[in-house]
Amino acid sequence: MKLALLCALVALAFIAALALGDQPVPPGEVLGALFGSENVPAPSRIIVTELRLPRAVTALLVGAALAVAGTIAQAVMRNPLADPGIVGINAGAALAAMVVIVQVGSLPETALPWLTFTGALAMAALIYAFAWRQGTTGTRIILVGIGLSALAGAGASAISVFGEPAYVQRAMVWLAGSLQDSRWEKLPHLLGWSLPPALFAWAAARELDLIAMGDDVAQGRGQPVNLARALAILACAMLSGAAVAAAGLVAFVGLAAPHIARALTGPRHARLIPAAALVGAALLLTADIVARRTAPPLQLPVGLVTALLGAPFFAFLLWKRRND
Amino acid sequence: MTDPRLAAHTLRLAYGATPVIEGLDLAIEPGRFTALVGPNGCGKSTLLRALAGLHAPAAGQVVLDGASIARRSTRALAREIGLLAQSASPAEGMTVEELVAQGRYPHRSVLGPWRDRDQQAVEEALALTSLISLRHALVDRLSGGQRQRAWIAMVLAQQSTILLLDEPTTYLDLAHQVEVLGLMERLVKEHGATVVAVLHDLSQAARHADTMVALKAGRIIASGRPSEVVTPEVLRTAFNVEATVLTDPDTGTPLCLPRRTVPE
Amino acid sequence: MTRTAACALGLVLLILLVALWSLATGAAGLSVAEAARALLAPGEGRADAILWQVRLPRVVAAIVAGAALGAAGAIMQAVTGNPLAEPGLLGVNAGAAFVVVLALSVFGVTASAALIWCAFGGAGSAAVLVYAMASAGRGGGTPIRLVLAGVIVATFLGALTTAILLIDSQTLDAVRFWTAGSLKGRQLAQILPVLPYAALSLAAALVFARQFTTLSLGGDVARSIGQNPALWRAIAACCVVGLAGSAVSIAGPLGFVGLVVPHMVRLTLGGGYGRILPLSILGGAALTLLADTAPRALLSVDMPAGITLALIGAPFFIWLARSHGAVRG
Repeated sequence: MKLALLCALVALAFIAALALGDQPVPPGEVLGALFGSENVPAPSRIIVTELRLPRAVTALLVGAALAVAGTIAQAVMRNPLADPGIVGINAGAALAAMVVIVQVGSLPETALPWLTFTGALAMAALIYAFAWRQGTTGTRIILVGIGLSALAGAGASAISVFGEPAYVQRAMVWLAGSLQDSRWEKLPHLLGWSLPPALFAWAAARELDLIAMGDDVAQGRGQPVNLARALAILACAMLSGAAVAAAGLVAFVGLAAPHIARALTGPRHARLIPAAALVGAALLLTADIVARRTAPPLQLPVGLVTALLGAPFFAFLLWKRRND
Repeated sequence: MTDPRLAAHTLRLAYGATPVIEGLDLAIEPGRFTALVGPNGCGKSTLLRALAGLHAPAAGQVVLDGASIARRSTRALAREIGLLAQSASPAEGMTVEELVAQGRYPHRSVLGPWRDRDQQAVEEALALTSLISLRHALVDRLSGGQRQRAWIAMVLAQQSTILLLDEPTTYLDLAHQVEVLGLMERLVKEHGATVVAVLHDLSQAARHADTMVALKAGRIIASGRPSEVVTPEVLRTAFNVEATVLTDPDTGTPLCLPRRTVPE
Repeated sequence: MTRTAACALGLVLLILLVALWSLATGAAGLSVAEAARALLAPGEGRADAILWQVRLPRVVAAIVAGAALGAAGAIMQAVTGNPLAEPGLLGVNAGAAFVVVLALSVFGVTASAALIWCAFGGAGSAAVLVYAMASAGRGGGTPIRLVLAGVIVATFLGALTTAILLIDSQTLDAVRFWTAGSLKGRQLAQILPVLPYAALSLAAALVFARQFTTLSLGGDVARSIGQNPALWRAIAACCVVGLAGSAVSIAGPLGFVGLVVPHMVRLTLGGGYGRILPLSILGGAALTLLADTAPRALLSVDMPAGITLALIGAPFFIWLARSHGAVRG
């Protein structure tokens, strides 16, 4: 029931994303264009299906991928404040891509996700390596992650000092988190990199439930803890890499979506993962509408909008947990 | 009993809306060692903090030399009353001597220089706690017992005539417990200090203290000489334990042997 | 001579040497001798113009901002009892930068004398906000809560600053280097009005160093030995606002100086703030100056000092978070 409601919400945000813009298109025409109706005027059809649709689909998928990655990270790191954005996994993905982009300008669409995935995975490994000290604590993971995130950010800026100015400019727009460069050609890669790990995580929902309860509990129930954790981190890195390759650094969606979803469906991952994906999709679709419509014709990077919306949410979480 | 310098009158202490101490009257005997005992959460630490002026009473007052301590400045109060708090900071990177010198705070003005008598007070405190050889050691590298002694030395350097100590023997091994309590006794006997300490070990408290005060749920249920306080009846009411009380063959003070718990 | 005095002297010499190095480094080849001559006996030549208008302001900016940030970090660590406290991480710098950009863009303020007060206002509001967010609740402010609150506030204000700059390209042109933490293109005319405030805050920090040592023992202990912690926390906050505000006005939001330097001093010399503060001031100046000079001189890249400092400081932060006793659990 709640999932159906969320689906409706995503559909609503999706139609709004297609309808709103410099050239508003009435919702009826949007639906008509989507379903190939003959009665829709040609300009509207072109605006909806060729200009806005790829962007809306990208927002939907990136939002969902970030949300599932955040859900996995929160389970594996056992900290409700863990998020691939905050602990620097996304920043690692971006750094890896920056290293190459500022040198050669643009990459073939097939190569970028590989780079971001490698960066995300390397960062996740580094976080564990540095936070490991006879086991890890959620606190140390977050602090180490914040440090690594700052380091990766500084690294990306430092690299841009050495790069070709024209390339750097384009890379910076991407880095700030933007859906402007959403094209149909990029979608198969986004889908290919994010759908399998998301489905895998959903299928392994019971394992995630166990991981979230702690190593001892999980081991006691017969789970090969380290293998499960490694697979979960791999899935998280794939999702994060896919999202970063498609839209750059989009903050806080991975943090906020699982929390909102948890409030709706409870902590069981079988329901939490789809719910979080839907919430993430709705969040990013909405944030992108805000990014496009705040100061037209200028388009704000969507990563900026999510940061502005997400930071107060994070503050609220901190406030709620003040007595822990 | 000689006129008390420090006393609490119909004291009510609370954390927010939760009362901890209710209508408590207590007079601390000057020049004596008073031990506060009671089960966890009975309010003894809060009472000690209130006596030191760290916890403002919800009602009633703490009186020092006839006037409410709320009317004194923190600095003036610190010259009269020293407190060894339970949770001390790690005093990172500070040497023992630097920490002990902090005890001179109430004797110096904001920009006041370090004078000879400040150094003298520090030397005395270091000597009394046998820390002279460790004066340049870093506090955060010391063992638990040494660190506790360093903090005690800081309170001693304050040269207040009233010393309040919150569980000074916790985290110390047996030898250091005896040493710290012996030091308190000496301060009382030889220097005329007034000492109030929260203690856990009843037999130890009975051996070293002149007066004991037993608290439960924010009220005093017994007070007086150790032999009047450490009795099977008081132990049953205060701690809910059935206990045998023997007499220490050396000192004649009561020894407590808990047998089993009893329902409230 | 004590070790402290030796370290202080060494740092002063280091600052002088790096300053000379910085003055002699740049696109227009100026030898160290020429630079020294232009500095000591100013004339009308090309070398003098370059030195006085381009290179010297940069050196002064690095020294003043670094010194102020080093002191601010030391004070924040003392007051919060948190080894990870620092004006950059805790959002104080971001607050100052945001209000300055807001004043420039929306209210058209351009006078340095007015902008510095904007920086103070922003730094103060951000500090209060972060501290309140972190210390709400029974447990008070643990290191992790303080850092998280700082990251949130810094991210939020940073995003707002970026949003303003994206919309207002005129302001962006004026402050591009400044917001990126680069000392390039600073003018003496922008720095001089800030100097009195920076000097006053530094002097206050040094005079009150002993009070900060007492505060660092924790509120209860401070009170029990006769300090009024609330009063001195407020005074410490004023010092931090003055220091961080001055530093941001001059050099933009530079992070990690306030974290790295006081810890290095504490590790080498230990001790109360009577020792940590003066050496953090010198160390902060030396580190910032070095961060601004070394990439230019060695790699011929004008890397913003803020980036170099983050590259040095972030691993240090990780090391602290990993090893520090106070950050367990």
